[in-house]
Amino acid sequence: MSATADFAAALPRVLGSRTVQRGVLGMVLLVAVWEGVARGFALPAYTLPAVSAILVNIVDSWAVLAPAASYTLTESLLGYGVGSLIGIALAGLITLVPRARAAILPVATAINSVPVVAWSPLILLWFGIGIASKVVMVALAVSFTVFLSALAGFDRVDRRAADLMRSFGAGRLSVLWRLRLPTALPLIAAGMRVSTVRAIIVAIVTEMLGAYDGIGWVIYQAVLQVDFVRVWSAIFVASAISLAFFGLVSFCERRLIFWT
Amino acid sequence: MPVATHHKGSSEPASGAAAPEFPAAAVPPLLDLRGLSKTFGAVQALGNFTATIQPGEFVTVVGPSGCGKSTLFNIVSGLEEPDAGGVVRFQGASVMAADLLGRVSFMPQRDLLLPWRTVIDNAVLALDVEGAPRKAAREQARAMLPEFGLAGFGDQYPSQLSGGMRQRVALMRTFLFKRELMLLDEPFGALDALTRTMMQRWLLDVWQTHKRTILFITHDVDEALFLGDRVIVMSARPGRVKLEQKVDLPRPRPAEVVISPEFIRLKRTLLEAIEEEAMKSFLAPGADGATTTEVR
Repeated sequence: MSATADFAAALPRVLGSRTVQRGVLGMVLLVAVWEGVARGFALPAYTLPAVSAILVNIVDSWAVLAPAASYTLTESLLGYGVGSLIGIALAGLITLVPRARAAILPVATAINSVPVVAWSPLILLWFGIGIASKVVMVALAVSFTVFLSALAGFDRVDRRAADLMRSFGAGRLSVLWRLRLPTALPLIAAGMRVSTVRAIIVAIVTEMLGAYDGIGWVIYQAVLQVDFVRVWSAIFVASAISLAFFGLVSFCERRLIFWT
Repeated sequence: MPVATHHKGSSEPASGAAAPEFPAAAVPPLLDLRGLSKTFGAVQALGNFTATIQPGEFVTVVGPSGCGKSTLFNIVSGLEEPDAGGVVRFQGASVMAADLLGRVSFMPQRDLLLPWRTVIDNAVLALDVEGAPRKAAREQARAMLPEFGLAGFGDQYPSQLSGGMRQRVALMRTFLFKRELMLLDEPFGALDALTRTMMQRWLLDVWQTHKRTILFITHDVDEALFLGDRVIVMSARPGRVKLEQKVDLPRPRPAEVVISPEFIRLKRTLLEAIEEEAMKSFLAPGADGATTTEVR
C-alpha cells in the first residue's frame, strides 16, 4: 500500500525534526534521573523500581503482557470504531432532522455529565465481565466527544454553499453527504484524535474493575501479588499503545484531510 | 430601432415598471415575473418587480447596492418565495419559486468551489447531485476544459488556482448544469479590471456557442452594456424596474465598442437613472450600502 510506503518515507523526516529530537532528549533525561534516583537511594522496588528493572521485567513477562496488550487494544479499537460511528451518525441525524436535536442533545449531555467510569459497575452488570462491557464503555466515552465535534462541524457549513447545492436540486441527504460531511471532517478528525487516548484509558480502568484479561487486569493482579515492577511494566506497555494509536490516527488525519 | 423610442438622454424617469414593450411576442417568454415583492421583517427588499426574459436573451441587471438584486435572484433560483401576490411564470406555466430548484442554473457571487474536489469534480458537482454517472460526467467536463481556459488544470485543487481561473471553474459548473436559464450574480465582481474584461469577452463567446438564456447581475454599467441585449436598471430599495434599456450594439461586439458614440450615449442614460437611485438609497435612513450589506 502507498500508505505504508508514505509512512515509511515520513519516518526519517519526523525523526530528523528538531521538535522530535527535543522530545527524545527530554525522555532520555527523565529516564536517566529516574534511574539515578532509584539506584542512588537504593529505593525498594515497591516504592520506585529502576527503569532498567522495569524494561527487564517487560521482556521477562512478555508472554503475559503481549496478549494482555493485544486484548486491551482490541477492546479499544472496537469501542473506538463503534463510538465514532455512533457519534457521527447521531450528529448527522440531528442535522437531517433538526427537530431531533431537542430530544437527543439533553439526553446525550445528561449521560455524559458524570465521569464515564461511574457507569462501569452498571455496564459490567449488564454486559458481563468479558469484552462486550469494555467495548460499550469505550464506545460511550468516545461517542460523546465525536458527537459534539461532528455536530459543530456540520453546523459550520457555509450557507451560501448549501443554497448553491439546493439550487442544483440537492436534498438534505445529498447536502449532508457532499457538503456538510467533508466540511465537518477536520473537526470530526480532531475529536477522534483526542478520543484515542481516552479510549485506552477507559478500557484499562474498566478492566481493573472486572475482566478476564487485558492490561488493566494485569495491573490489578500484580497489585494483589504485590508485584509493583509488573505494575510499572503494564503502565509502560499501555503508554506505548496509547502513543502508537494517537500517532496512527494523527497520520491518517493528515493524509485524509489534505485541503486545510 | 426600439432604441429610438427611448431616445436622447434626459433623466426621463423611465418607462419604469410599466409593461415592457419588447419585441413581437411571437415567442412566449422563458421567464415572466409579475409584481414580485419580498419583505424581510421591517425591510422591503423588492417592491412590485415586473420583467420578462425571452429565450436566448442576455439580460443584465444593474442597481445601487442593497436594491434587492440578490433577493430577486434567490427567488428566481427557487431559494426564496416571493410575498403573496407575485407571479412567477417559467416556460409558460405559473410556478412556485421552490419549483424552480433544480431547473435554473445559478451561479452565486463567490465561486464556492469545494476545496476537497479537483477542478473536474467541482465542475461536475451539479451532475453529481442529479445522479449522473460519474465517469461520463467527468469526460464531458474534461472535454470542456480548453474552452474555459483550464486545459491541463483538470486535476488541480481550487487552492492552486488564480481568482480568474476559480471563477471559470464556477462558470463551467454552471454551464454543465444544462438548464435553459442561467443566473449569474456578479460573477466577475471580485476580479481585477484586466481579468474582468477578458472574462467578459470570453463569456460572450461561450454564450454564443452554447445558446443559453442569461440573467446577469452587476453593478458595473460598462459590463451591463457590453454584455447585454437589454439592461434592467433597478430602483433603490424596495427594488423595482426603474428603466429597461434595449442595447442594439451589433454582435459579436469588439472590445472597442465601449468607446463608440452609441455605447457612450446608452451609458449616459443608464448612469443618470442609476445615480438618481443610488442617491436615494444613500440618503434613505439606515439604508446606505456601506453599513447594511445587501439584503438577501
